[in-house]
Amino acid sequence: MDLTPRTATEPGAQPPASKRRWLPILVVVAALLGGGVIVTQFLTSAIDYYCNVDEIGVRSGCDGERRMRVQGVVEQNSVKQADGGTTFTLDFNKKTLRVTYSGDPGGVFQECIPIIAHGRIVNGVFESDRIEVKHSNQYVEKNAIRIDEANEEAAACSVLKG
Amino acid sequence: MAGQSSTGTSATRRLGILVILMLAALALCGLWFSAEDVVQGSTVRIMYIHVPSIWTAYIAFGLTALCSGVYLSGKNRSLAWDRVAGAAGEIGVLFVAVSLVTGSMWGRLTWGTYWVWDARLTSTAFLFITYVGYLAVRQLGGTHRQRARRSSVLALLAILEIPLVHFSVTLWRSLHQEASVANPNAKVELDGLMLFSLFLGLVAFTMLFVWLVLHRQRVMMLEDAFSDRGLDVAITARRNEAGV
Repeated sequence: MDLTPRTATEPGAQPPASKRRWLPILVVVAALLGGGVIVTQFLTSAIDYYCNVDEIGVRSGCDGERRMRVQGVVEQNSVKQADGGTTFTLDFNKKTLRVTYSGDPGGVFQECIPIIAHGRIVNGVFESDRIEVKHSNQYVEKNAIRIDEANEEAAACSVLKG
Repeated sequence: MAGQSSTGTSATRRLGILVILMLAALALCGLWFSAEDVVQGSTVRIMYIHVPSIWTAYIAFGLTALCSGVYLSGKNRSLAWDRVAGAAGEIGVLFVAVSLVTGSMWGRLTWGTYWVWDARLTSTAFLFITYVGYLAVRQLGGTHRQRARRSSVLALLAILEIPLVHFSVTLWRSLHQEASVANPNAKVELDGLMLFSLFLGLVAFTMLFVWLVLHRQRVMMLEDAFSDRGLDVAITARRNEAGV
């Protein structure tokens, strides 16, 4: 008895099973290639040393004029914007580093926020071509801040009265 | 299921209505009642979709692995376990995709970039690719039991990626912030209504996942029954031709 599948000849009939299996095979191959690309990109990006400001000149790989990523907090009252560029001071563990960036850093960039700057040190200044703004895992409601401020003002007021 | 015109039952319909109500409540809490964040402003509202999405994906892939393990270790090896595993895998991929897209939008607004090859982002993208591969492997052909066996083994291997994704922010120096709730310090870092909105999102998305899995595994059961029936018809036709 012949149990081999028949060739579909009717109009609108489904294609043979062997042809329909190409798509999943292609997806599996694409997934393998995609996985390889993802791992490669991750490893390539990890080539740039990731240094805190206080590790510059101290930790291996965080010295000289090689390209690196520097993490620190934007110092208060240090941000200056002129000629389309931004300059500021990064602070970490009481060590500081002057940074220049050609453009607006974007995101929620502001004073007193941690950032990661990509670039290299030239003449003691970190020339950055990419800035990523970190945000902490703390989420504080704006209303709560306003209530705290109101409470502080009320407390200050009662001290004056007293 | 004989004579039934849909994959729904009165229980799934009630669950579906509850899911709609929960999602509506989430929209109200997330977009209206909860306050802006001090640093991020309204951008923080993306969190109410982003975090529940990846949470649901973890549950989905956990269920895929659990059902795959039960299938491989069970005596009767019921294909129902495999179908639930497959359904959960499909929906998990959908939720990881939502998490990646919303995370990318959130990253653009807070970090200043859509994507970085950071440990958390990279491991999540790898998780997504792995489960797309899992779904493709399920479609490679063969009998239902062959499909179940090979995809179960893959699911048990793929689940090992989830701890890597979750702890990537503590294992590597990462741009992505650490967990605000399930963190090593066991300290909740969200203010009142923000935390409530996030919790509501987790519950709503989990219920949506359950509803989707219930329907999808029933559709898969019908697909398997249809393909079995097609084979039976073909065998009967050949027998008739051969006069057996």
